[in-house]
Amino acid sequence: MRISFWTIVSVLAWLILGALLVVPLGSVLLSSLQDQAGQLTFENYARFVETPRFRTAFVNTLIVGFGGLLGSLVLGSAMAFCMARIEIRGSRLVSLLAILALVSPPFIGAYSWIVLFGSGGLVRQTLMQWGIFMPPIFGMWGVLIVFSFKFYPYVYLLASGALANINRSLEEAAESLGLTPFQRVMKISFPLVLPALSASGLLALIHSIADFGTPRLIGRGFNVLATEAYTLYSAEVGSNLSMATTISIVLILLSMVFVFSQRYMSRRNVYHGNLINKPTKRKLKGFRNVLAHVVVYTIALIGAMPAIIAAIYSVRRTRGPVFHPGFGLDSYQRILYNLGDAVQNSLLFSFAAVALIILIGTLIGCLVARRMTVNNAMLDATLMVPYVMPGIVVGIAFVAAFNGPPLALTGTAAVIVLSIFIRRLPYSVRSSAAALRQVSPSMEEAAISLGFSPVRAFMKVTVPLILPGIIAGGMLSFVTAINELSSSLVLYVGSTATMPVRIYIAINDGDYGTAAALSTVLLALSGTAIYIAIRLMGRDERALL
Amino acid sequence: MSQGQARDAMAYLTVDNASKVFAGNVRALDGVSFSVGRDEFFTLLGPSGCGKTTLLRSIAGFADLTGGSISLAGAQLDSVPSHKRDIGMVFQDYAVFPHLTVGENVAFGLKARKVPAAEMASRVTEALATVRLGALMARLPAALSGGQQQRIGLARAIVIRPKLLLMDEPLSNLDAKLRIDLRGEIRDIQKSIGIAAIYVTHDQEEALAISDRICVMNAGRIEQIGTPQEIYADPQTIFVASFVGTMNILAREAGSALGLDGGGLADRVHHWAIRPEHIRLDEGAGDRIRVAGTVEKYTYLGREAHVTVRTPAGKLVVQLADPAPTLGMGEGSPVSLAFRREHVLMFDERGVRMPSRAA
Repeated sequence: MRISFWTIVSVLAWLILGALLVVPLGSVLLSSLQDQAGQLTFENYARFVETPRFRTAFVNTLIVGFGGLLGSLVLGSAMAFCMARIEIRGSRLVSLLAILALVSPPFIGAYSWIVLFGSGGLVRQTLMQWGIFMPPIFGMWGVLIVFSFKFYPYVYLLASGALANINRSLEEAAESLGLTPFQRVMKISFPLVLPALSASGLLALIHSIADFGTPRLIGRGFNVLATEAYTLYSAEVGSNLSMATTISIVLILLSMVFVFSQRYMSRRNVYHGNLINKPTKRKLKGFRNVLAHVVVYTIALIGAMPAIIAAIYSVRRTRGPVFHPGFGLDSYQRILYNLGDAVQNSLLFSFAAVALIILIGTLIGCLVARRMTVNNAMLDATLMVPYVMPGIVVGIAFVAAFNGPPLALTGTAAVIVLSIFIRRLPYSVRSSAAALRQVSPSMEEAAISLGFSPVRAFMKVTVPLILPGIIAGGMLSFVTAINELSSSLVLYVGSTATMPVRIYIAINDGDYGTAAALSTVLLALSGTAIYIAIRLMGRDERALL
Repeated sequence: MSQGQARDAMAYLTVDNASKVFAGNVRALDGVSFSVGRDEFFTLLGPSGCGKTTLLRSIAGFADLTGGSISLAGAQLDSVPSHKRDIGMVFQDYAVFPHLTVGENVAFGLKARKVPAAEMASRVTEALATVRLGALMARLPAALSGGQQQRIGLARAIVIRPKLLLMDEPLSNLDAKLRIDLRGEIRDIQKSIGIAAIYVTHDQEEALAISDRICVMNAGRIEQIGTPQEIYADPQTIFVASFVGTMNILAREAGSALGLDGGGLADRVHHWAIRPEHIRLDEGAGDRIRVAGTVEKYTYLGREAHVTVRTPAGKLVVQLADPAPTLGMGEGSPVSLAFRREHVLMFDERGVRMPSRAA
């Protein structure tokens, strides 16, 4: 009976992956290989290579990818080193600001940067009055700066964890063997943190490539593959699905190449040390102490700035889309009267997606963690694919796959829920598998030997033990779900618009007050979910990744 | 045949020709048969990978045999799922439920049996008193030491009054002194409640101290079953001789150097063996085999000392009881060794013991 249950789970998992991953991806691939008449052709790819606009977008995508990676690495590792090894006053606040940067809603981040550093930006104008010229933030450099400050928390959270896990005896041993402090850092600490750096750098790179809101708002003509795909798809005249799908395939391949090269590079770099001698934080004095604090707080405050700006602007007085002096709750009133359905949609879709993610993700997680077979290893590997698919691509793929019979889902709420579900499923599978591996199998065996059937033993012992981890994972999925923009933007129709979609529309319409207020609501919801998650996980912010 | 039937009559647990073959033709168990009496403390002893844990898990029902059968109290176990076998188990990693209090851990199996609340409370209290944890009933296990956690594991297993108690290296994660204390307690508890117990360990000293009978296993097979005295003093194979206690093992050529003729069987002898405590530094007594050598190493252990001596027959370790603190033996000092002929064990080329009375 038990064997058949897990066989059912396995079949179910493959069915889900087949329907929500293989079919959409197949449709995208097929569409990219067809001309307007439906004939098989490589013409789309030839056109991709020939067209200067697409070539530029390709190069620009590499630039934002590696630029975002580099910027995040510099900011994140500087902050990680200071926080892990030096006593910083208010380090809890700094961590909080880093998390704020990570979860601040899309678009509004880019918008806040424009408010401060755009052509008519607050900071830029002030500096101009003082006679300091500052170029507006638009263009390539703007995108890179925004990405660096948005994605540095990945590096910070992973690298500070790795730094805190280096046995101090290793560094002391190196010192006693005669290495200078600089040599010690380069030969001991750096190699030991390298796996965390490369893993978190990959996250920054993948997210930089996939992000389409930031280059869209701040790029101003600086086009990347994600924006090209969206433009081609959404153009009201001459919408070109097969070119959009061609670009999607290129984006997926690009992401896959980076994932596999990171895995290849770090294939030997897994270190398991003991932690008998934990590293301690040093207290710096004088100038160096001030410098460390300045570095940490500058990064943290600039990273969290978009969220803070959004919160401030949400309570500014507005008349229509125009800000007036003074403060008021006009923007929130407008949400209440006009955009209640967006809030409702967001909550409904997110809860539905999270319920699915928890249920299916936990079952597959148990399968992967406890029953090591070729089938399950393949399942685990296949789940890597949605992990690297940019949201825009998922959206376009779902449109390509579910636009007609047998599954005409386009325009329904279900298609948005399912797109969120498949994108977040890999995280949920991994986190529940990880939680399960912490529970010794002999726990369950003990319960069985005491007279409980295997199913009841699982429910009475294993489930209570992994439940906090599952709920925490669910909370984090909720944060991703409710902030999801790029796939929803492709998939929504008027009645299924969500909060992030409304924010995007509001910014495009110049209705910044509404956008700020919606963002603040999102931020409050995300913050609540993260608070619950951290409480349940015992304050391990790294699990947020 | 009649002898075997006589043994079966008092058999409580019977393992008959148990075999387990893993993929790739790895034989974890290879035709293992034995039986255990109703209140016997029976130990499976062997190096890691010898099949002892696989055997224990097969009895518990967590692993399936590929051949053979197991019966308990006259009933076949093979088709009984593990949760209906009524067998208590104590785990190497304690497997104490961290989300339940000590009391709830012990009551866990009683809930599966739907024992009435009043009886449950009194049985839990009694079991916790047995393992001397009565005061910690309301605590969570995380705050307790390894030794205390294993006591919970033991109480949890005996409170259900199982037909059989299985223990899978229960003391191997504890420190040396606690291990010795707790093994005495386990033995006392097993005798006081009169339950059949099967105990798995790789620690030969622990096996000797705790068991009624020991089953020495190697490479999926039984080497020898016997009381601790039989296993130590009368090993039937060279594996048992060398695995249990310390043994000097000499190659066949050593026989001529020592003047041993093996009672005329010397040409069949493959190895000679003698315990260190049976060798003495020369005291001039009568019927003894003598060999001269030089000291290579002297190790002082307080209660005893070990002297490694290089002789023409090979290296021999000699155990001295109660060595004088002033006794020091420099490297290279000449010594003369002596031992009785009947203390020399002989093994043939298959590693099987040859009758030494023939000597």
